[in-house]
Amino acid sequence: MVITFPHMGTMYIPVKALFDELGINIVIPPRISKRTLEVGLKCCPEMACLPLKVTIGNYVESIKRGADTIVLSGSCGPCRFGYYGVVQKEILRDLGYDVEIVILDPPREGIKEFWERVKKITGNSPLYKGLRAINKAFKVCEETERLLKLVLQKRCREVYKGDTDRTFNRFEDKIRSVKGAQGILECIQETRKQLENIKVDNNKKPIKVGLVGEIYTIIEPYVNLNIEKRLGDMGVEVHREMSVDGWVKYHLAPDIKFRRKQKQILESSKDYLGLCIGGHAWETVAHTLNYSREGMDGIIQILPFGCMPEIVAESILPTIAKEECIPIMTLVVDELTGEAGYQTRLEAFVDLLHLERSRRENEFGKVLSWN
Amino acid sequence: MNIGIPRALLYFDYFPMWQTFLNYLGFSIIISPPTTKDILNIGVSLCVDDACLPVKLFHGHVAYLKEKVDVIFVPRLVSVAPGEFICPKFIGLPEMIKNSIENLPPLLIFNYNLYKGIRDKKDAFDDLGRQLGVSSSHVDRAYKEAISRQYIYEAMIESGQNPLAILHPKEKWDKLDYSKGVIGIIAHPYLVCDRYISMDIAKKIRDKGYDVRISANVPQTIRENNLETMPKRLFWSYGRNLLGSGIEWLKGNEVDGIIFLSSFGCGIDSFIEELIRRYNARQLRLPYAVFTIDEHSGQAGFDTRLEAFLDMLEWRCKDGYNFSPYGYDVYSSKSSIR
Ligand code: SF4
Ligand code: SF4
Repeated sequence: MVITFPHMGTMYIPVKALFDELGINIVIPPRISKRTLEVGLKCCPEMACLPLKVTIGNYVESIKRGADTIVLSGSCGPCRFGYYGVVQKEILRDLGYDVEIVILDPPREGIKEFWERVKKITGNSPLYKGLRAINKAFKVCEETERLLKLVLQKRCREVYKGDTDRTFNRFEDKIRSVKGAQGILECIQETRKQLENIKVDNNKKPIKVGLVGEIYTIIEPYVNLNIEKRLGDMGVEVHREMSVDGWVKYHLAPDIKFRRKQKQILESSKDYLGLCIGGHAWETVAHTLNYSREGMDGIIQILPFGCMPEIVAESILPTIAKEECIPIMTLVVDELTGEAGYQTRLEAFVDLLHLERSRRENEFGKVLSWN
Repeated sequence: MNIGIPRALLYFDYFPMWQTFLNYLGFSIIISPPTTKDILNIGVSLCVDDACLPVKLFHGHVAYLKEKVDVIFVPRLVSVAPGEFICPKFIGLPEMIKNSIENLPPLLIFNYNLYKGIRDKKDAFDDLGRQLGVSSSHVDRAYKEAISRQYIYEAMIESGQNPLAILHPKEKWDKLDYSKGVIGIIAHPYLVCDRYISMDIAKKIRDKGYDVRISANVPQTIRENNLETMPKRLFWSYGRNLLGSGIEWLKGNEVDGIIFLSSFGCGIDSFIEELIRRYNARQLRLPYAVFTIDEHSGQAGFDTRLEAFLDMLEWRCKDGYNFSPYGYDVYSSKSSIR
């Protein structure tokens, strides 16, 4: 059995750690490229959401490299994500790929079913071994996220353009060939040190932008046209609450403190949206509110075309923008999104944020001089 | 007090229930008129661009009502059956309305959520009663009345009637005396029952001499049965209706051709359509067409395609099933879809 899984940003790192520890062979799908997307475009319904199209490309590319089992997490509504597996299976079947798809639904849909599926993957390895592997994978997940957060901080302040990305790219090249959780952790530590040594301009007060929206689009750089890097290169500090690590902590590992904090953030947005409507729309609204109160200069919502829950959020955000006095921009991405137009919109938005900030500072100055 | 009910989205599924309940409690109801170009245009201009057509249309109907009534009834249907959901947009509908339309009268929100179990059904009505300030004993009686009315309505639909015809007796469809065949339209009720946005497809087909069946006409038990074999429980109630009826028709006994009427930007339709198309291709290869409508759909192009489809159907019926327009031998294909 050779397992593969869809890409989502750097999620492959903890997943790799997990399977390495379990001693299971995996194929990490090649980095998402135009070719990956083309596969998806050819065989998916036009109206399907972008993540479906990209992930099917992942599978096909992995199958060609020898994978025969696909593992993905499921959910049971209300959003489409939960039904990805079924539709993708039919598509793969018609393409002539006879692979097994194991959908890991949350245990509440039936604990027995869940166990059977887990067993299908882990085979006969003893329980304690499995638990240990999971534990290590969690650790890797956490560390990876910390690394990503560090990148976000460094990129907008670096003195020599490109230092941060060079370091991080080197890390990504290397990590694919490292085996075992321990090795991966060491590799992360090493990169961390390198990142910390990057020369930065500490006097700089970068514009701060909060990123909200559909989780896959936020995390996967290929689909969001590498928004973090684009903004970082413009000298903008990007904040993003949404992460693989956060998802794991909220849904899989019972991290009570983390959950409580998230719940609190969600609750605080009651006036705008008071219940889960599927996907991450509630988080989008809540984080927007939270960011604006934390003093961000602006907020960018990003969603794939046709994303049902985010559209609801999109219609709520203008009210928040008005009431909280914070610029919010919504970016919709699909397979046709052009780079040039995208860049222009980002630049225009960042210009606006600079203007707003200097206006605010002026006003502040005036107030002071009056006194 | 006048309560406005927008003639869009779930109106076509639940109006009898709402009407009975509210009338019983002594409120008068004003329904927005059938969709017109203006209503649609207003809806499109108010709603976020990326929403699907039916949701935009709902905005239009609310905008029409806002100056004419004291409160507007906006359903928030989270779930209509245990363990199932409907579209995320229905759940967020009141929020979308509130944030997109200005100067609204108060909204009367109908929070209907059966996700945890059928027992919660009455909660929604109790809640309505509270919002309206009526006594709970009144609510109880109105509730009973409403439920039984709704039950009759659903039974009538399952017996083959068009929801529109039940709501508006003028629009009644009689069985055609002489019909060339039956066409199944897979679609949400709020698409196919809105004569404006569905481009009056049902009537056009009937004018050509074909009988029409819609998804809701397939009895629920049959739909549910057909879904038993799905590898994973489908958790959208509307998706279940569409797919369940689609699978039934794919067996080829009930209809001669299938039309999938979907709205541009609908996430659920895109998945269900994909499955039905693939199942059909593996099985009988019934004549099948997808019509996607959005606010820019042109009448002319739509009619031409519909005619082409019906022509194809006619040839196929005439020449029997010994040749297939797709270039495959229909009999050699696998007989099971899975
Ligand atoms: S949240 Fe959006 S992108 Fe994700 S499955 Fe749902 S519709 Fe698709
Ligand atoms: S089910 Fe489809 S058409 Fe209906 S509201 Fe949802 S996205 Fe729109």
